[in-house]
Amino acid sequence: MTFEPAVFEVEHLELIAGGQPILKEVSFKVLQGEYCAVIGPNGGGKTTLMRLLLGLQKPTAGTIRLFGEAQARFRHWDRIGYVPQQVTQTDRLFPGTVEEIVSMGRISKLGWSKRWRKEDLRQIEGAMARMEVLDLRHRLIGELSGGQRQRVMIARALASDPKVLILDEPNTGVDQPSQQRFYALLRQLNRESHLTILFVTHDVGVIADDIGRLFTVNQTLSTCNDPKALMSCEGMSELYGIDAHLLSQHHRH
Amino acid sequence: MLEMFQYQFMVNAFLAGIMIALLAAFSGSFMVLRRYALLTETLAHSALVGVAVGILMGNNPVWMAVVAAVLSAWTIEYLRSFFHLYSDAILAIFLSGSLALAVIIVSLAGAFNSSLFSYLFGSILSVTREEVWTIFAVGIPALLLLGYYYKELYFIAYDEEVAKTSGIRVTMLNFMLVSIVAVIIALSIRIVGTLLIGALMVIPTVAALRYRLGFTSTVALSIVFALFSVIAGMMLSYLFSLPSGATIVLCVLAIFVISLVINRR
Repeated sequence: MTFEPAVFEVEHLELIAGGQPILKEVSFKVLQGEYCAVIGPNGGGKTTLMRLLLGLQKPTAGTIRLFGEAQARFRHWDRIGYVPQQVTQTDRLFPGTVEEIVSMGRISKLGWSKRWRKEDLRQIEGAMARMEVLDLRHRLIGELSGGQRQRVMIARALASDPKVLILDEPNTGVDQPSQQRFYALLRQLNRESHLTILFVTHDVGVIADDIGRLFTVNQTLSTCNDPKALMSCEGMSELYGIDAHLLSQHHRH
Repeated sequence: MLEMFQYQFMVNAFLAGIMIALLAAFSGSFMVLRRYALLTETLAHSALVGVAVGILMGNNPVWMAVVAAVLSAWTIEYLRSFFHLYSDAILAIFLSGSLALAVIIVSLAGAFNSSLFSYLFGSILSVTREEVWTIFAVGIPALLLLGYYYKELYFIAYDEEVAKTSGIRVTMLNFMLVSIVAVIIALSIRIVGTLLIGALMVIPTVAALRYRLGFTSTVALSIVFALFSVIAGMMLSYLFSLPSGATIVLCVLAIFVISLVINRR
């Protein structure tokens, strides 16, 4: 068996902004092939933690290793697909077909000629097919529904053929049936394509059966290794008041 | 009407105008989509500072305009990306600051005259063969660079942060784009004028956006609009002895209004 380094390895991460601690003593690992959910109250630092992982913000202290490499020296950003918050609220007028938007995810892989090769086109088409937006390829992004746009954004993240997907609450403004379809697609990506997934969400109850581990972020981070027994997990009781409706949702579905 | 091409100055003006239309519409597409339309206006005023310095010192005002516009573009981009100041507020500060500085310098030079007027509003007759060469020598590499980084610039225009996380050198490309825009603006002031170049960069794209096409088609259409406006504007300006820059801008505005009317929904 070959040794595979952790996708993310975070140690003693700390972020202080304007004299206020945003995150402190955050340590965790995400292994290859894992499906992890990240929950926590608004303002608890979930999005900030994702931004730190992606190098969009610098921590005050602590280390981040990506695929075994120190973040400062990491160059394989195409291995990480990122789907940001508010993907469903793009500018309605923005000129771009679904195909043009999904292709963006492949740009960093272009060679010196900057031309699409057969492999690039195959991956772009494959990403659209997996996210079931292939039939929308010539439609404008601004004309799509929230759920369709959400799938386009994930297709874009998949176009670089990443090993890991970071999703930061990409489901605001998406209707229930689309949500269900979206969760099913994520489960499929994790189980069939062995994609590592780090999913910031409010709907942890709904995906409790899919995920392997759960991180609760509220300035500090606590790990729950058995998400099905949510209430028994450390940190959950403090959050109960805030996320109570999410837990009860688990029983409805 | 074709007898106008018997005049060397008309040929010069058309060659320069066509190149500027291409450059302005192409680079302007990225500026509009990044909500950076006002930067073109601001840099045009910064270029005016260079023109003023050139007039004061007796240097070639066009080159001084290039220097002033590029320095201003870098400072604005630096402030925007590293200090996270509001983009529109920075632009407002630079726009009025540049204009004030230019007015002071010009008044020191005692040059509130027709020479300054031609830089403000553009003058078709003033384009020399040498200036046409300069515009092509700088314009062709600028077009090639924009074409080469076309896909990256599009990604950045759509989502700067996601582009960054996918490994695209966003900071470098942003500086490149604003530098190219600064140079284009400075070089264009002879043709369309400081006060009107912003319109040629912004309006063709805004008009093309009304047709709700994909990105490549939108850029292509905006270039067609810009070329048409420059050519039609110059012809009208020749036939009716109108100021070239203002005529070009009115042509592109007419296209915008027509686009708005036929695409109302």
